[in-house]
Parts: sequence; structure tokens; C-alpha cells
Amino acid sequence: MTNYLIRRSFQMIMVLFFSALVTYTLLSLAPGGPWEALLSQQGSETRRIDADDIARVRAQYELDLDNIWRFSRWLIGWPAGPIKIGGQEFLGDFVVGCYKPIQETNALGEPIIVGCEDTVTMKELEGRRTSKGVVFGDFGLSWGILRDRPVMDVLWSRIPVTLQLMSVVTVLSLMIGIPLGLISAIRQYSVFDYTVTTVSFLGSSMPTFFFGILLILIFAITFKQMGWFYLPPGDSVSSRAYVVPLLGRVEAKSLLDQFLHMIMPTTVLTMFSVAGWSRFIRSSMLEVLRQDYVRTARAKGLLENTVLVKHAFRNALIPFVTIVVFAIPGMFGGAIVTETVFNWPGMGRLFIDALSRSDYPVGMAIFLISAFLTVIATLLGDILYTFVDPRIRLS
Amino acid sequence: MTAPAAPVRKVVEVLQPEAMPKEETQFTVIRRRFMRHKLAFFSLILLGLIFLASLFAAQIAPYGPTEIEIGNAFARPGAVDEATGKTHWLGTDHLGRDYFSRILYAARISLTVALCVVIFSTIVGSLFGAVSGFYGGLVDDVGMRLVEFMLTIPDLPLLLIISSILLQSPDIVPVPKAVIDFTAAAMYISSREALQVIMVILVLTAFGWLGVARLMRGMVLSIKNMEYVDAARALGVSDFSIITRHLIPNAFAPIIVSASLALAGSVITESVLSFLGLGIQDPTPTWGNMLSFTQDYMFQHPWLPLIPGLPIFICAMAFNFVGDGLRDALDPRLKR
Repeated sequence: MTNYLIRRSFQMIMVLFFSALVTYTLLSLAPGGPWEALLSQQGSETRRIDADDIARVRAQYELDLDNIWRFSRWLIGWPAGPIKIGGQEFLGDFVVGCYKPIQETNALGEPIIVGCEDTVTMKELEGRRTSKGVVFGDFGLSWGILRDRPVMDVLWSRIPVTLQLMSVVTVLSLMIGIPLGLISAIRQYSVFDYTVTTVSFLGSSMPTFFFGILLILIFAITFKQMGWFYLPPGDSVSSRAYVVPLLGRVEAKSLLDQFLHMIMPTTVLTMFSVAGWSRFIRSSMLEVLRQDYVRTARAKGLLENTVLVKHAFRNALIPFVTIVVFAIPGMFGGAIVTETVFNWPGMGRLFIDALSRSDYPVGMAIFLISAFLTVIATLLGDILYTFVDPRIRLS
Repeated sequence: MTAPAAPVRKVVEVLQPEAMPKEETQFTVIRRRFMRHKLAFFSLILLGLIFLASLFAAQIAPYGPTEIEIGNAFARPGAVDEATGKTHWLGTDHLGRDYFSRILYAARISLTVALCVVIFSTIVGSLFGAVSGFYGGLVDDVGMRLVEFMLTIPDLPLLLIISSILLQSPDIVPVPKAVIDFTAAAMYISSREALQVIMVILVLTAFGWLGVARLMRGMVLSIKNMEYVDAARALGVSDFSIITRHLIPNAFAPIIVSASLALAGSVITESVLSFLGLGIQDPTPTWGNMLSFTQDYMFQHPWLPLIPGLPIFICAMAFNFVGDGLRDALDPRLKR
């Protein structure tokens, strides 16, 4: 078991390292950000920007360092100065970047860098503002959403709302999906089974955003026009009190208000999860019911209920463990599309906002954390599987 | 011995219908089994109709997809334009563009993107999986590590990041001008839009081939030990020929099923990308970005989101039904 854990942890670290590398490459390719704004101002006449300004801003965003040092500073916050051993400094003169490159236009009219006027040495790295590194939770500063504020602050502000939605969705999906799957397997070919499988099929082929918009259409718009009880269509809380027929006046930000706002996004997400999970549990349960031990239990004369509860259910839910662990990254990441449709201020919406406003540090941070949680969830699923199914032994 | 009274007739003549059943090719068998699923068959016909309608969009649509007429915004369905006498079958959008025409042109783009993505990812994935499964050893290890690594990463966020980067600076990926021109000519769109379409196809293919590769590898691993492969090798057939002429055709049944289900997924993913503003941009019509606009105006005109939303739903369902029907039709050939 420990062998397996060590091997898997090593694999995990490799996967995460490559994810960080991919993220970082995308981040450096990413357009937009303050650097581009500065470049675009360079051409205009209203502000004269000379080479010193450019060099300073480049240094501020660490664009003057060589790529590999930039990556390592982004990842672990090192090198942040010359190596200090026993009070003595080494490698103080090691060149790590170019503060002022010499630019020329080549034959095609494109600017190319031919040399370096002023290099950056390790000694000069001292005292520069640096992050502690992604590994230690410092994702840098936001470029747009909260200008120059730490990305972690931005993320933390969205987590409570996201957890509020996703935890309710997960609990509801478990409470509804598991029984639906189990019962429709027990009563195979019945009307119940047929309904459940059809609805699951519909649920998994209907795009979530369309379903969300349909719900808004029905419950928020049409009902309101008809003067019936309606649900508020967007955000997680209203900013003013409003009147709902049947419930009377609803105060802004009250518990009832939050509840009403949560109904529709929860329905969309739960429907989606239930569709997928109930299908999986159903097929798993069908396989279990065909097994010999179930036949033996029945032959022994046990009540059908006992057979199901003591033997079948437990075994049917074993493979489900590997599926349900993926709800963990979902809890953090929210639901990108549904939150956009319902304007729910969660992580998913933050991700889209960040991307459309070219605030790539925030986007990358969300992506990297999601990847990290997914990898952990995969490992957790595999480990749990061995606990739940004694027949599986990890070498 | 007395001669029999009746003339002797050959057994074959008497028992012809039962002794010699009509010869059926594999394709006929599959087709017969497929048509037993009425839903799947009907979906296939529906998809064929949609495909034809999108192909002849220029002839069927009364208006162009980008004809703006701001004064005529939000006309009711069935309104007739006085100047030209053509009807707006589904009304107009917020800029006065005819919905019906836009839906048809959007069908062309959405279906083309989905088809291209699935074809390319099937080709790439099959080759990758077949080579990986056939050679085994280090090639297989490295290949499958790569596939697993990419599968572990959550795909939608990465997809969105790459789309948004490619959207703002499309010159990161060098696309030959000939390809852009070909796409623009084939779909009657400008070359800037053709570049967007190509980007979306590339981005979706980059994640689409993973599932196919894993599937193909599994199939190849189980077919690899069959006798005809040994025979081919003994005859000196080259590795490449073995892969392309023996392994891939025999592994194809689950690949086809997964491809038709992937078509449904591609239609939805492309519309999600466009809905979020990171796929194909306005004014090129695609069901996704039309849906995002209708959401803004939904409160005054409630029926609007149904217009682009229903085609997405119907196409996805139709592809799913066809996939299910194919899975049942091809069942005995699936090697479990």
C-alpha cells in the first residue's frame, strides 16, 4: 500500500508539474494585461513613454528575466537573490535576464532582439517584489478584476457562494440519484425504470445552459407575466425587496431570498448530476443482481429486502465511489455554464469574467487549483476503492 | 423396383428458399438491425434533413445571415417585409436580422465544426491508439501516460483558456492560408471567420482524440493476438499494413458508436464555447452565440431563446439516438 502511495504521489507531482508548465506557457503567451496597454500607449502622442519606462514596467512584471528563471520564481519563489551560504553570497553576478534589450528591425520589418544593454544579475533580484510561489499558494497579482490585488483574495471572496451552491447540489444529487438508480435497476423494464432512463437520457443530452434558460423562461418570466408565484431569475441575492405572490414581500438578502435564488441553479445542476449518476448506478446494480451471491442469498430464503439492502446495494455502490470523488473539484470549481446563465457570483463565473477581461493570473489560478483537486480526487478514488472492495489489492 | 411415379426433383429446387438463404453483406445486416430502432432511424432521417437544409442554406434562406435592418428589430414570426415581400418566418433579432436564415447558416457552421472535429479526432485518436496498442512496451507506456495526463486535467477550463488566448492572438498557431481560403469558400464566410472556425475545430480536436485513442488501444490489445494477425506477420506484411488493413477495420465498431456520441458532445461543446463568447463570434451565426444574445432580450420577448436553443437540443438528441441505435446494431461484433 505504501509502495503504491509513493508511486502514485510521484505520478501526481509529475502531472501537477506539467500542468503548471502548461499553465505557465499559456500565461506567457496570453495577450492582454497591463503590458499590452502600455505598448499601445507608446504609439499615441498623449503620453511619451521612453525606453526607461518600458524597462521599468517590464521589470515589474518580471518580463525581463529569462523564461526559465521566471518560471521557477513563479512556481517556488526562488531565485530571489544570490545564494547565501554561511553569510557569504555566491553567484551574485550570474546573469538571469535582460533589463534593456537592444531592438532592431530585421529584413521583414519585425522587431527582433539582438543584444542586451543592461543585464539583470542575481544580486539585482534582491529586493524585487516576488511572490512566494504557486506551490506555496501565492498566485501573483490580478491583472484586471481586482487590479494589483493578490489572486488568492479574489478567489477567497467567491468560495463561500460557490460552496453554498455546490454543496447543496452534491447532497441533493446523492439523495436523489442513488435511490433512483437502485430502484430503477430493481424494477427493470417497469414504467418507473422506463421513465427514469428516458429522463436521464434527456438530461444528459440537453445542454445545461439551454435547460437553465428554459427554467428562467418558465419560472421567472412566464409565471411573473401570468401573475403567479415566480422565482427571481439571477444572482444569488437581490439588492432590493420584492413582492412575490403567495409568499408576500421578500426582503433583500434574507434567508428566504437566498433560498428562492438558489432553487433554479440547483435544479439545473442536480438534474445533470442525477442523470449521469443514476444511469451509472443502474447499470452497476443490474450487474450485481445477476451475480451468484445474490442468487444464493435468495435461495437461502432471505427476505428480498434483506437481500437487497445487505448484499446488493453495498456492492452496487462500490464502483460509484470512483465517480463521486469527482464532485470534490466540482465543489471548488463551481459550474461554469450554469453560473453564467444565472449570473451566480461563484468560481465558474469568476473564471469566465477573468478570461473575457484578460485577467489571466486569476484564470490560471482557478485552472491550476481545479487540476490539483482533480488529481487528488483521482488518487482518493483509487484508495477508497481498495477500502470499499476487499477484492482489490494495490500492488 | 418400380420407378417412382412423380418426377424426381432436385433437393435444392424443392428446398431452395430454406437451403440457401439470401446472401447478406455485413452492411446489410447492420442496416437491418439499425432500422429496427425506430427512434434511431427517425433521428437519422431528421439529421439528414437538417444537413441538406444547411447545405442549401443559400437557396432556402430568404435573407442573408448578416443583413442588418435595425428599424425592423424583433419583428413577430411570420412578419412580411414590405420592401422585398419576403417573410421573416421566425421573426428578427435585436439588429433586425432574420432568425430563420441565421438558423440555417448557423446549422452549417455548427454541423461542420462538429463533423470536422469528430472526423479529425477519430483519425488522430485511432492512429495513436492503434500504434500504442500494437507496439506496446515503452511506446504504449509513454503514449498512455500522455493520454491519462491530458484526461486528468479538467477539460472545460483549459478549453476556455486556450480559446480565449487564440481569439485574441490567432497568429500563435500558424494556419496555412490555403486552408483558410478553402474553409472560407466552402462555408461562404470571410477569412477572419474561417480562421475562428478553424481555431475552434483545432481546440476541440485537441481534446477529442483522447477518448478514441484509449478505446482503440483497448480494442487493438484484444485483437492483436488473433490468428489472422499472426498469419499476416508470417506472410511478411509490414507493420503499417497490419495496423491499417487488419487492426483498425476490425476494431472499428465501438469507435463508430463513440464517434456518433461524440458528435452530440461536439455540437454541445461548440455551442457552449460560442455561448460564453469564446468560440465563434458575432456576426457569424452559430446557435451558441445566438442563444447568448437572446438571453439579454429574454425578458421582453420570452420565446426568443427557444429559436436557437431547440436546434441544439434536437441535434444532440438525434445524434445520441443514432449512437444508441448503432451500438445495438453493432453489438455482436463488439468484442467484450
